[in-house]
Amino acid sequence: MSDAHLPVERLSIILGEVKDVRVSQRGPRRTRLDVAADALPALLELLKGRAGYVHLSAISCVDWPADDQFELVYHLWSYELNALVSVHTRIARDPGVYVSVYDIYHPAGFFERDIHEMYGVFFEGAPDMEKFILTEWDGPPPMRKEFDSEAWVNEHFDWQDYRPDWLLELEAQGGGIVIPPDEQRFSRRGVTESDDES
Amino acid sequence: MRAENYEARNHPPSHEFEINFGPNHPGIEGNYALKVRVHGDQVVAARADGGYLHRGFEKLMEQRLWIQNIALVPRICVPDPAPMEVAYSMAVEQLCGLEVPERAQWLRVLQLELSRLAAHLFTFGGHAATTGMYSPMFWGVADRDLLLDLFEELTGGRVYSIYNIPGGVRRDVPEGFLDRISATLDYLDSRLPDYDNLLFTNRVFVTRAKNTGPITQAQALEWGVTGPNLRATGLAFDVRRDDPYLVYDQLAFDIPTEQAGDAWARTLVRRGELQQSVRILRQVVEKLPTVGGPIRAPIPNPLAWRVPAGETYVRIESSKGELGWYVVSDGGEKPYRVHVRGPSSMHAVQVLEHLVTGARIEDVAQIMFSLDACPPEVDR
Repeated sequence: MSDAHLPVERLSIILGEVKDVRVSQRGPRRTRLDVAADALPALLELLKGRAGYVHLSAISCVDWPADDQFELVYHLWSYELNALVSVHTRIARDPGVYVSVYDIYHPAGFFERDIHEMYGVFFEGAPDMEKFILTEWDGPPPMRKEFDSEAWVNEHFDWQDYRPDWLLELEAQGGGIVIPPDEQRFSRRGVTESDDES
Repeated sequence: MRAENYEARNHPPSHEFEINFGPNHPGIEGNYALKVRVHGDQVVAARADGGYLHRGFEKLMEQRLWIQNIALVPRICVPDPAPMEVAYSMAVEQLCGLEVPERAQWLRVLQLELSRLAAHLFTFGGHAATTGMYSPMFWGVADRDLLLDLFEELTGGRVYSIYNIPGGVRRDVPEGFLDRISATLDYLDSRLPDYDNLLFTNRVFVTRAKNTGPITQAQALEWGVTGPNLRATGLAFDVRRDDPYLVYDQLAFDIPTEQAGDAWARTLVRRGELQQSVRILRQVVEKLPTVGGPIRAPIPNPLAWRVPAGETYVRIESSKGELGWYVVSDGGEKPYRVHVRGPSSMHAVQVLEHLVTGARIEDVAQIMFSLDACPPEVDR
């Protein structure tokens, strides 16, 4: 099938026009490109206009705090070649600003908005950077690695008391929910009180 | 929404009003909202408002072992959970270089197609209900229940089966199960003429659905529309055929398409897919007894499983469209990053806002259901 060879050929023609693109073939239909952040919009434009990668499947963001960087991955699909290209680039974590590719790919609007609220990356030129999912969230961007959701919960919420005093008092008087021994769950059956104490 | 954020706004004298369509509204799919601005009964502006179903799955997955996430992932899309399990398992297998035994691949196709049937039956009912017809909804839910019975027998779970694990599937088919699938498929086939009478040739439904929420093929490609909604604009693209996974390349099935791109065309495409899924399932039922071997590949101790560092993007055709899973491992016991690209993240936000603007208020619910938008997939 010529499908497997075509994407590489078409890609190599346009890759000559962008500086410093690292190409790795991951499978017959999967290609990974690594490119510098300032060259990415030009590369996407070429991929869409000249190589037929018209469908932006997704933009994924990965946080690499050790490198002080965000990795942005643009997954592009070509309906003609039936092949996927993933374009990887890295941007500085601080200030975390990048350019929007909405003008090239409209689906980017949703993904950039999502990355903005989850990672705090601002995309310049995006049509809409308003919050969508975390409308009333005023904490730090929660998908960043340094955000510890458990610590946040402990700090901001009270654990519910499942054994309040009034229930303990009620139970001491024989009230509340008392399950007779023969109706207890099978795991408790046959466990006598002396077993419990021992 | 917090009470203090509600403001009684003094609108200037105007013929336009802003209406909150959802999150609790019979005409909206799941907990989702649209803020629509209406002039008379015409929508002049619309804004999608999500987040009511946000459970932070992507963050939760980073805090759990690779194997624990299996119980978490089907919950990302309630009406069609099977593709989530399969996609996640496939991603882990690709990262580990695990070969999935052939029998397990056939069993996964079986589960995926049963799930597709169940999801489409559900959608027909919901779509019909938005045009005021409730019988198809009762029928669809009742017939979906037969498929849920099959899921219960095969996996133990009616909706969330948690049937896959990286490396294969958990159980083999029980005795006589394939016969019961065949009987259910025969029954669904026999029901199709009834559905045609009740819904697909119903003049009320056809009149309401035709020319409602039309998308051209150029618009569909520009907005990232996938799945049945894309095929309704005339482009015969299906991940199962054009980027094959599992054993779909060994199965014979057609890709139904329509040209009009409106709600009616989208419904017809789904009706065609219903028939194709039945066709695929019949082939699976015929093939499965001839495929021997184990149902899962041996995996390391799942509680101390370090998946090799790497990244992969897995695509699957769910009943809603193209489902993408981007999974990154840093060689640890837990995923480093998981990104779920639900097809509805396009359909329920930008596409819906475009289509609803200019439509009439009574068509808003129908447009949303005809796109088969799945809000939990958007919110994650």
